[in-house]
Amino acid sequence: MIKTVFFTAISLIFFYIIWINNFFAHKEKYEMPAQYARIAEDVKSYAREGKQLFEQNCQACHSVRYDSVYISAVQANPKLKTLQEKYGKVLPKDVYEGVFNEDLMALKESFGKVPPDLSTIYLVKGKEYLFNFTLEPQKVLPGTSMPAVMTGRPEETAKIVAYLKSVSEPTPEEKSKRVLMGIGTIAYLVVMGILIWLWKGKILKRMGLH
Amino acid sequence: MLGRLGRWIDERAHLSELWQSQMVDYKVPKNLTFPYAFGIMALVAFAIQVISGIFLTMYYQPDVNKAFDSVNYTIMKEVPFMWLIRQVHAAGANFFLAVVYLHIFTGIYYNAYKKPRELTWIVGWLIYFVLLTTALTGYLLPWGQLSYWGMVVTAEIPTSIDSAPIIGKLKIGETISLWMKGGYEIGQITLGRFFGLHIWLLPLILLLLVGIHLYLVRAAGISNPEGREIDKKKEGVPFHPYITLKEGAYVMGYLAVFFFFVFFHMSHFLPADNYDPADPFKTPAHIAPEWYLLAYYTIFRSIPDKFLGFVAFNLSLLFLLLLPFLDFSPLKSARNRPLFFVMFVVLVISSMALTVLGTMPPTPTNAILGLLFTGGLFAFFLSLPLISIIEWGWYKARGGEKR
Repeated sequence: MIKTVFFTAISLIFFYIIWINNFFAHKEKYEMPAQYARIAEDVKSYAREGKQLFEQNCQACHSVRYDSVYISAVQANPKLKTLQEKYGKVLPKDVYEGVFNEDLMALKESFGKVPPDLSTIYLVKGKEYLFNFTLEPQKVLPGTSMPAVMTGRPEETAKIVAYLKSVSEPTPEEKSKRVLMGIGTIAYLVVMGILIWLWKGKILKRMGLH
Repeated sequence: MLGRLGRWIDERAHLSELWQSQMVDYKVPKNLTFPYAFGIMALVAFAIQVISGIFLTMYYQPDVNKAFDSVNYTIMKEVPFMWLIRQVHAAGANFFLAVVYLHIFTGIYYNAYKKPRELTWIVGWLIYFVLLTTALTGYLLPWGQLSYWGMVVTAEIPTSIDSAPIIGKLKIGETISLWMKGGYEIGQITLGRFFGLHIWLLPLILLLLVGIHLYLVRAAGISNPEGREIDKKKEGVPFHPYITLKEGAYVMGYLAVFFFFVFFHMSHFLPADNYDPADPFKTPAHIAPEWYLLAYYTIFRSIPDKFLGFVAFNLSLLFLLLLPFLDFSPLKSARNRPLFFVMFVVLVISSMALTVLGTMPPTPTNAILGLLFTGGLFAFFLSLPLISIIEWGWYKARGGEKR
């Protein structure tokens, strides 16, 4: 009995540490004022406004390919439409980088590297980092070539973060559907498990094995 | 109608006879404990991986320019329900390995590797080894930063052979590293061969090995937590419905936990850094292998000499393979063996600690702790012959009677 408890406990603690919350691993934490965090979370109300802000402030250098938003120089290029008719709205990376190489190289010349595509950046960095970095790039990542475009405009920055979240994550309706699906699946399995267990008891009693 | 069709088939295929002889007349010990269910859970996990993997190959593109987008756009956003398949496959891989580890430790605890089951253990070890390779090759396919840099580090490991005194001159390590990568850098060729290995060769080998493993389990009979062989004619309960229903209920519980992670806690199985496309010019801050390799990685990294570290982590794998021959005691199951039980606890704590240490930055303190637990791991294997000799003494003193 003591052995069972010991091995169960040690296994559970082990998987809790490596799969759920590793308090031994070093993690960088960034703070975000609550009122802006609320804006960045609220995709429904702010994503559209955030996209406009993105077009005004970020699109000169950054693309969001998964939302078929390309850098301004490309967006103005008539070739884009022809390519999109052929490949779909989201151009394959090699086609995009091959055809619009000149525009991307022009950016590389001024910044030292091609500014990254931001399709999945929200999933990589999280809202706190994005908010702080966009507001004051030099403070968060000294030496970065990202210009301080949004400094002093925290609310608009939060809205842009909300837009990036809307690109990276499923929509709120889709999310709640998934939650429902998850609960349904788990409930089904738990009920089936209990039924099989009860059935087993019944059959074994009949067989005289209990 | 359906009954008649069934009888028609049965008269020709004799399926009910097969079922009767293989499932009902097959007797197993009545006292099988919960950990015995890890075997069937591993089988279920394998089936889940195969099925979800087949669907993923329909949309995945093994091309360095398209791989990342095919995973993160086509699969995750464009095609309905493919997000679920991917999440099942990603979490499934981790669950598969977790269950296999639990299965291995159960086998060690109940001494299921002893005569007449040595071959079952050896085939099981091969499954474990092929499974690690499958996991490793599959991890590269999403072509994210972690995939790419994890493989850069892994492909470097064999080169530590080259720092050995004499054989280092032959540059064997570099050759192995080149074979793994298919060139001097990780690129299209690497991705192509890893894809082929991951979806065809390795799963087929796994399938074959799992078949042999299951056959051997049946041929030698299932082990017993009490450590004695049962007389199948007199004791034992029918496999069906006793075990099928009991472990069926456990499998439902296992799947419930699995789907909890699939739907609500994917952050470990789809880590944030892997949503960043692979970039050979940007080294991430923390590169470490996946958790199921971390124990070996910590052994490798805490030993100051590169070559010795390489030898040590291969030795730990080799000892695991040779377990049936290191432990030649006549007694079976940790329930009857107090000395073995103590060393088993040392093994469990050491391997868990090595894994957790692998997630931590390599500070001097951690290196010493790593060495300490590496010592614990090897102490388990090296103490087995000693324990066996002592237990032969007890066995003889009791007049050789079986327990």
